Amino acid sequence: MTEDYFNFTDKLFAREDIDKKAEALKGIRVLDLSHMIFGPTAAKTLAQYGAEVIKVEVPNQGDYWRGGTYWGKYWKHSNPLWHFINPGKYFVGIDVKKPKGKDLILRLAEKADVIIENFTSGTVEAWGIGYSQVSKINPKVIYASLSTYGQFGPRRYAPGWDLLAQGASGVLSVTGHPDTDKYFKVPDFFGDFFPAYYAAMLIFIALNYRERAGEGQYIDGCQAEILMRTLGHFTYHDATGESLGRTGNMDPSTSPSGIFKTRDGKFVAVAIATDKQFQSFCKALGRDDLAQNDLYKKAASRLKRENALALNKVLEEWVITIDVQELAGLARKHRFAAAEVMDDVQISQDKWREERGSTILFEDDMYKKLLVEGPIAMLSKTPGRIKWLTRPLGYHNRYVFKKILGLTEDQIKDLEKERVVGTWDYRVGQRPPIYHDLSKDKIFNYEGGEDH
Amino acid sequence: MKEVRTIKERIYSRYLQKKGASGLSDWKNILTQLTTSEGKPEALDDMMVLDLSYANFSGNITASFLAEAGAEVIKVEPPEGDPSRAMSPYGANVKGVGIPYLMESRNKRQITLDLESTEGQENLKRLVKRADILIETYAPGQMDAWGIGYRQLRELNPGLIYIAISPYGHYTAKGREMAEMPWTDLTSQAESGLAALIGDLPDAPEPYNWPTRAGFYAAGYTSAVGAACGGLVASFFKRRTGEGQMVDIATADAYASCVGFPPTIGYVWKKPRLRYGTLDYGLCPYGFFKCQDGYVAIACFRDQDFRAALKLLGQWKIEEEWKTLLDRITDDIDKVKELNAVVEKAVGKYTYKQINEKFASYSVKAAGSKWRGGGLPVTTKMLTPDEVLQEEHWITRGTFPKIAHPSFGLVTLPTTGKMTKTPLRVKWISANIGEDNDYVFEKYGLVKNK
Repeated sequence: MTEDYFNFTDKLFAREDIDKKAEALKGIRVLDLSHMIFGPTAAKTLAQYGAEVIKVEVPNQGDYWRGGTYWGKYWKHSNPLWHFINPGKYFVGIDVKKPKGKDLILRLAEKADVIIENFTSGTVEAWGIGYSQVSKINPKVIYASLSTYGQFGPRRYAPGWDLLAQGASGVLSVTGHPDTDKYFKVPDFFGDFFPAYYAAMLIFIALNYRERAGEGQYIDGCQAEILMRTLGHFTYHDATGESLGRTGNMDPSTSPSGIFKTRDGKFVAVAIATDKQFQSFCKALGRDDLAQNDLYKKAASRLKRENALALNKVLEEWVITIDVQELAGLARKHRFAAAEVMDDVQISQDKWREERGSTILFEDDMYKKLLVEGPIAMLSKTPGRIKWLTRPLGYHNRYVFKKILGLTEDQIKDLEKERVVGTWDYRVGQRPPIYHDLSKDKIFNYEGGEDH
Repeated sequence: MKEVRTIKERIYSRYLQKKGASGLSDWKNILTQLTTSEGKPEALDDMMVLDLSYANFSGNITASFLAEAGAEVIKVEPPEGDPSRAMSPYGANVKGVGIPYLMESRNKRQITLDLESTEGQENLKRLVKRADILIETYAPGQMDAWGIGYRQLRELNPGLIYIAISPYGHYTAKGREMAEMPWTDLTSQAESGLAALIGDLPDAPEPYNWPTRAGFYAAGYTSAVGAACGGLVASFFKRRTGEGQMVDIATADAYASCVGFPPTIGYVWKKPRLRYGTLDYGLCPYGFFKCQDGYVAIACFRDQDFRAALKLLGQWKIEEEWKTLLDRITDDIDKVKELNAVVEKAVGKYTYKQINEKFASYSVKAAGSKWRGGGLPVTTKMLTPDEVLQEEHWITRGTFPKIAHPSFGLVTLPTTGKMTKTPLRVKWISANIGEDNDYVFEKYGLVKNK
């Protein structure tokens, strides 16, 4: 007898085997010159699948996101929301504005397969570490410049970030309720994260090409343009001559649909995508009249504005009469999509996410336990993984400079004296947690030998 | 404005400021190379992808991304068509094809196979022997029951990368229990933590303070880019070892897995965030404010940026009270509202043009000054998609190509992915049911139904 399908897949993706499996990007070296969220997240994606990512920061200052957080709340002298953006990287502190610092970065760039930066257009060129300079010493490099408006076009020098990209791309203008004066931004820096994964995708495309053709190239990752790629509104406008605008909490491409309050005061999203689902949804409601109504039988008619709004009303009035658990049971039985709106705490405590590896309660040598997101895609043979959380600014100086650049302890000490390389100052986010004993830390005081 | 921009270019592009900067022409050449895809190779034109997505846009979009990078993508749907063809805002369509489907039909081949029939399954197997990637969105276990799941197909083609996209994934107890639950973008947004954070403040009237949807396929695109990343990492591994594998995506986790904030915040702070209206959890002011002719961004990250904004908006008198970043990061909602109201009132006196000119000339002065504490107040206007289409910047970048099709006419599509050697591009759209049956059946020796 054939093995049950889920027994087969549970073994295929078993979490306990992850660390024994191969890493797809092993041997790929990434120089991460970026800061905040957009660039660092792209670099993190490569680190998760096995690349060696060296993150370069300015000594005594570091990535601004080290000291950022929500509501001013820190955790073990760090920003808790920094750890899942930069896990598994090597942290070095080099001052690019010192000629020797620039040379150090170029020496690392010469040995890199991928370089990622997200300064305003032209900045890295001015520092002498741009693609035009690096490609001369490393022609096979894949160099990704990530910015809000891209590297060419009249607005290329305008700075920006998540919020501005959401505004400039049209994303902001489509979220919220029609006929109100409020436009809601998509929270948690969606305008950084989605473009970051898209940029990672472009880098993976370039890596695939380099593997077959042996050539590197330059990538222009344009944040606002990447956000536009997610909007159907341009094609809609062009095809219909109308503006779709804001649509509240319904999805106008499914009918009925919306987010409504249940009898027990919870919120639940329901969306009916296909004609078949609509028939079974009507069964769950006990509304055969709707199922037989020619206005609603076929998606093309069911989706028309007036019909969709009428059905949404029916849905809303039904949801308020029923508890969330009962509704979920009916949805499962009748096979239509319904889901409770989940908040931060529900997500952090969700057993399914933990079993799946979508969340990982990571036990770190330095920071101990922290719950962080898992990889964005689960791979059966070369799964993504987290090897350590983040480290203080310049923590890997000795490890990287000795191991990769072959510098001696004396040379590093000289560079420290000249303030070309360095570590943290007192500010939160840069330094290690107070309980961590640096004198016993073999990586921080790296003298050669074992790998990290 | 032209004048300001020229000065801004000079200042911002520090490269141009440097006398005798070597390699300037190299940099310009590189930028010129970015502007076109004409005659350039395609990164993935040695890759064949089967797109079996069914009533699921995450799948359609994943395949689209690969097609833009040059892969040969064959969309396989049942003879009556994929229900996602009809899923379109208020049913809008061009010749019966919905807008999202049309938009994600770039560079694809459209064929029909009845996967429930032996003939269809045999034809699929013929294709799979030649395929690098297969994308499917059926209920977990369905393909396996048809005899064409990952464990059967990997025998036929050990190099196959099998991407499965479903709400709860193809493993774990819940994946099994919820296998029949269909995909929608709205439920994915709700379950992955996005909807809980969008909406007006708790004291606003219902339903404005309810969880709200991001007004586009936020979960669909997020899970698609994850699937494409997973597929491409697997493809890189295959190029080195010849081995295929399975890639699994759960769309009910799309948003939380993308932004990462919900799990860590829930774990560390043990309390969920409430909807925060147009305010921000990180800092204040950080948002779009209503000016006389639209909405304008005021976002002050560092203290010097905040000081600059206060000066420009004529609100210097409140500086003392809100001096440091820590004064402006607060979970005391009343305090945040107070500062927000001051900014709102000040912004309301100006037009966007006035604010932009103030900010731009200040930035130029500050950036030109030797003293670096001047702040960089940045702003932009909120644009609607219709307005975005008119912007010179995106016209120059070729962000919205118009693609001609014999039945759909000229279709405008957003595209992005500028690269010097292998840029992403839209070559054609193909969106009619079975539009490419003849071509694909012939090319891959498939057997036609009698």
